[in-house]
Amino acid sequence: MLSRRDFLKLVVKGAVLGNFSQLITPPLAKAVAAGEVHKLPVVMIETGTCTGDSISLDNIWTPTFSDILTNILDWRYDWIMNQVQGQEAYGILQETYEKMPHEYILIVQGSMIQRDNGHYNHVGYENGKLITGIELVRRIGLKAKYVVAIGSCATYGGPVSGYPNPTQSTGVQNILPERRVINVSGCPAHPDWIVGTLLHLALYGEPELEKFGRPKLFYGETVHNRCPRRRFYDQGIFATAIGQKECLFRIGCKGPVTYSDCPIRRWNDRYNWPIGCNTPCIGCTEPGYPDLMSPFTSHFPDIPFPGGTKVNTDSFGLGVLGLTSVAITGHVVTSLYKGRIQKNLLKTSAKTNHRPALKKAQAFHKYWLKKTNKI
Amino acid sequence: MKHSVKLRKPLLKQLKADNLKGRIIQSQPIWVRIFHWGFAISLVVIISTGLQLHKPAHFLALNFSKVLVAHIVFSWFALGFLVLRFTDALIRKDDSLIPKIRDLKHFPKLMAYYFFLRSSPPPARKYNSGQLLIYFSWFLVFLLASFLGLASYWQGEHLIWVWHLVGGFQMIRWIKFIISIYFLATIPVHIYLSLTEDISRLQAMVTGYERKPPMKNESKNFPRIK
Ligand code: HEM
Ligand code: SF4
Ligand code: SF4
Repeated sequence: MLSRRDFLKLVVKGAVLGNFSQLITPPLAKAVAAGEVHKLPVVMIETGTCTGDSISLDNIWTPTFSDILTNILDWRYDWIMNQVQGQEAYGILQETYEKMPHEYILIVQGSMIQRDNGHYNHVGYENGKLITGIELVRRIGLKAKYVVAIGSCATYGGPVSGYPNPTQSTGVQNILPERRVINVSGCPAHPDWIVGTLLHLALYGEPELEKFGRPKLFYGETVHNRCPRRRFYDQGIFATAIGQKECLFRIGCKGPVTYSDCPIRRWNDRYNWPIGCNTPCIGCTEPGYPDLMSPFTSHFPDIPFPGGTKVNTDSFGLGVLGLTSVAITGHVVTSLYKGRIQKNLLKTSAKTNHRPALKKAQAFHKYWLKKTNKI
Repeated sequence: MKHSVKLRKPLLKQLKADNLKGRIIQSQPIWVRIFHWGFAISLVVIISTGLQLHKPAHFLALNFSKVLVAHIVFSWFALGFLVLRFTDALIRKDDSLIPKIRDLKHFPKLMAYYFFLRSSPPPARKYNSGQLLIYFSWFLVFLLASFLGLASYWQGEHLIWVWHLVGGFQMIRWIKFIISIYFLATIPVHIYLSLTEDISRLQAMVTGYERKPPMKNESKNFPRIK
């Protein structure tokens, strides 16, 4: 069977050539034929989501991907791809849960809606009762072999949890602290990231995860460190408007703070990626996206103040500095007016008790020391 | 016309001392002065390079990797100066930079003075309560910024808990930016007050010696040089 090392090589090669699933299929087919692969059952629960990650996953929908689905993974429950609907479909989920505990992979797409016990997000109907997203994810998640969160919403809350977060949404890890959640973030997650992670789970178990629970093989390096425009950055040559060919840092590129392999993997069958078409990276794979990353064309997030107003960080800084200058100027003027500065300077700089000063005497060319008051 | 009258040295000293106002005392030991100016210069470089890293001024077209190197190198310098000061304070058992309750008790009066509601500042130890608070906060936020800087320098290889604590890279940078703004807002206040309140203290930061009003019930004819 394909060794883990070769697999990792294919991940990079597939990224560079843009044919990851084509590369991976022949060795997998062999492994399947030899009976080396244990098919992993997969169920997907969609909670507070736009289903964008399913659409993104469809992008890998080459004939070869169907091989992956039929040979490597047993794709059992998924609203988008189910052939049946209603109770029949839901029954498959229940059956997987009851008959294959600690065998199946749970994929979660969408954020965990917590407000009012999750009742703004119903994902099932059991015995005349509506089942909430958090309830189902917790129940199915506790018995899953692996829990995989895909997309920004499921991983860290994403746009659904954006300020002021009226639904109190959050990522899967927060409502499932007992389990280690594998985070495949991105808005949406790249199809290679999703399938690659699933394949790694099927073939070699849990991949190495980085600081925010994402597989290191896709999220190990910042966009900035592999960006083709890095030489512009290093030399300090910056674009001043979207559409220019230089480094996009000045207009808010989040590449320096974003971990993903977009620069080599790119998007839409490796056709292009944001920086390739002269718009900044918006940092969609990071926790805190989109609040910490927007405005997308500015370096730092706006500062929310109570009452719903937001202030741009740079303007805030300038405002503080402006206030300081006004305060100091005002103080200088008042101090001068009140004579405080003059007094302090005289008091602390005069060298002697009696400052010698000359006083003109009556007689021509005759001077003597003038008596001054002690200061 | 200059009259050159030769006076014997001791006599000259006596004459000068007689006329000197107050006492001259040593207030800033050499390590404090080295720390102060070293730290000040480093901080200026750190903050200006930090701001350049934050929003590159495009008329400058500086080499960015060099800006970053300068930023980090001067951060280490600043940290080194801080360690010097800290060691010196330990050796001299100097607690003049640590705010105490009795310092804080004077704070309202000090503010009253700054807002022209009093004509003189309240009594203080070596530094008045306002200065103390600013200095002390500087050390805290400097250490915080350096620590966050280290976390961002390691790019999540080490100090991962810091990333979790603050909520990611973007927050690390944001906090550092706010800290820079804090420095930029308080440093001018510091400079302004040191120029206008007691200029002999500024002198002390250069020469080490400071002029103090004469001690009560002590003959002003004998200036103390400690
Ligand atoms: C008083 C101490 C410090 C201050 C006030 C400061 C301030 C700043 C500021 C304002 C930025 C720009 C952030 C942005 O807008 O992206 C920055 C960037 C940076 N600083 Fe510092 N810094 C300090 C200490 C340090 C130290 C000790 C290190 C490293 C050991 C460090 C490493 C960095 C790095 C690597 C960056 C690049 C931008 C980034 O974080 O990605 N800093 N600093
Ligand atoms: S365009 Fe963005 S990712 Fe690329 S070098 Fe510039 S700041 Fe870094
Ligand atoms: S380039 Fe940036 S915004 Fe675009 S997908 Fe990659 S990480 Fe997300």
